[in-house]
Amino acid sequence: MIRLALAMARFQIAAMRRSPHDLMALVNAPLFTVIFLAIVRYTGRDDLTGYAVLAPAMITVFAMALLASGEIIANDRTDGRLELLVASPSPVAVVVLSRIAMITLVSLVSVAECWLVARVLFGKAVAVPHPWLFVGTLAAIGLAMAGTASAMAGLFVLTRSARTFQNSLSYPFYILGGVLVPPALLPEWLRPLTQVVFLSWGTDLLRDSLSEAPVQRVLPRIAAVIVLGGTGFLLGAWLIHRVLLKVRNDGTVSHA
Amino acid sequence: MTESSPLAVAVADLTRTFVRSRSRLPGRLKRRPPESRTALDAITLTVPSGEVHGLLGPNGAGKTTLCKILSTVLIPTSGIAKVFGHDVVVSTTRVRPLVGVVLGGERGLYTRLTARQNLMYWSALYRQPTSEGAERTAKLLERLGLEERADERVETFSRGMKQRLHLARGLVGNPRLLILDEPTVGLDPAAARDFRGLVRQLRAEGRTILLTTHDMTEAEELCDRVTLIDSGKLLGTEDPRTIGEWLSAWERVTAEGVPAELIDRIRKVEGVAGVEIDSEGRITVETAGDGTSAAVLSLLVDGGVTSLSTSRPSLEEVYLHLIGSRGLNVG
Repeated sequence: MIRLALAMARFQIAAMRRSPHDLMALVNAPLFTVIFLAIVRYTGRDDLTGYAVLAPAMITVFAMALLASGEIIANDRTDGRLELLVASPSPVAVVVLSRIAMITLVSLVSVAECWLVARVLFGKAVAVPHPWLFVGTLAAIGLAMAGTASAMAGLFVLTRSARTFQNSLSYPFYILGGVLVPPALLPEWLRPLTQVVFLSWGTDLLRDSLSEAPVQRVLPRIAAVIVLGGTGFLLGAWLIHRVLLKVRNDGTVSHA
Repeated sequence: MTESSPLAVAVADLTRTFVRSRSRLPGRLKRRPPESRTALDAITLTVPSGEVHGLLGPNGAGKTTLCKILSTVLIPTSGIAKVFGHDVVVSTTRVRPLVGVVLGGERGLYTRLTARQNLMYWSALYRQPTSEGAERTAKLLERLGLEERADERVETFSRGMKQRLHLARGLVGNPRLLILDEPTVGLDPAAARDFRGLVRQLRAEGRTILLTTHDMTEAEELCDRVTLIDSGKLLGTEDPRTIGEWLSAWERVTAEGVPAELIDRIRKVEGVAGVEIDSEGRITVETAGDGTSAAVLSLLVDGGVTSLSTSRPSLEEVYLHLIGSRGLNVG
């Protein structure tokens, strides 16, 4: 199974190299960074530089999960590849999750991209006083994002109407995930909702890792990211199973 | 039955019904009740291991539905389908490594990737180690005559090349049963001839091949046995020689410049089913019996007619003869 997962990850790299559309979010990331950093500079809030670097990176990670990972099954179905994949001896869920994991890994390049924009264009080197926490949180966010993406990949096939809202899904997620504005600064009535979004825990931890101050309650907060992301994985695996059963029953495996 | 079973395919009372929801009629609040269509109606069929078995039938006959059920892509409504003894519904993990499927058409490939990348992807899905997959991919590309274009994007390929790549994809898992659903549709005559040669090679390797086609000549040329299917019902399984007899029995003779008196004599020849005269005076004689064409040709030549030809009927025309005027209706 590991060999299959690695082969699918390698395949996804090759597929993305030939499909620049899937990488557009990585092109947008530096532009968003410039916008956020320009706002920070204009308001004289250099203390928020880290926020302005993290936000576009997280936006990129989610955008690729939504638009590249979320479309994997739907695209294969439209192009007549899903029925051939179903007929192969490999579990579709493993194939899809491996490919999504690679997309998520590539999307994390945006963190370095945004950091470099701050360093090169604005002369701001964002320090990371808690590097292990930073890396660990990024890894947890990556896993959780891949889980969420697998759920979306299933959902977009199972419920076609969900695709109508695909683009607008981003904005509530950015707000509830505390991408730019920490959840603690959101209206009080909205805060409980942020607790069930893994990214809100993740972005708070990332911001804390950029601060000199000791970080409180690290393990439970990372656990929250992993548990919520793991729920996404389980939901994704279940949805993919349901989707395949449904389309094999309906005879719509190859429907566009 | 086990994998050493002499039966590659065993299908009993297999039925597949599609249910389609329908939209509201204009001005009506209630939805119309769902519409159901039976694509396969209690089909029973066996294909021995090592046989090239043809599935013949018009569009909508149920051929593709049967192929999809056997390849585990579609779940039957009722009945049993087994591949080398394994049930296609409950033992999908046992069935899938044994089956290669080529569903026809140009879809199903990653067109922005190269032929080699496509085959490597499918070899990984058939659980081959990378080195083994690379070796098998190279061999298949060479065998299918694609080695020179192996590292070019599939989107630059002709239809025939894409079809060959599909066939390579179907073979990448080294399947014991190869399902080919109308594999020569859209191929030029040379590509279709090459394809037939390949099917013969695959048969010689001991593979079982289930081939759907519209082309009776192709079926006659390639298949050990042929099953006729129409409107989801199995009409019968025949030796391809029987098809050859049908083809010659319903041969047509076309001639120009035939005198009216000679036309009358042709109408009276035993086995002549009909004579049609078009606006340019050309006649088409439909025959319905062995040796009738020869008798008609003899009369025409004796009558001094030199512009004449014979042709075989298409599958659809044979269907019209076999199953009546509804033969072409898509059920």
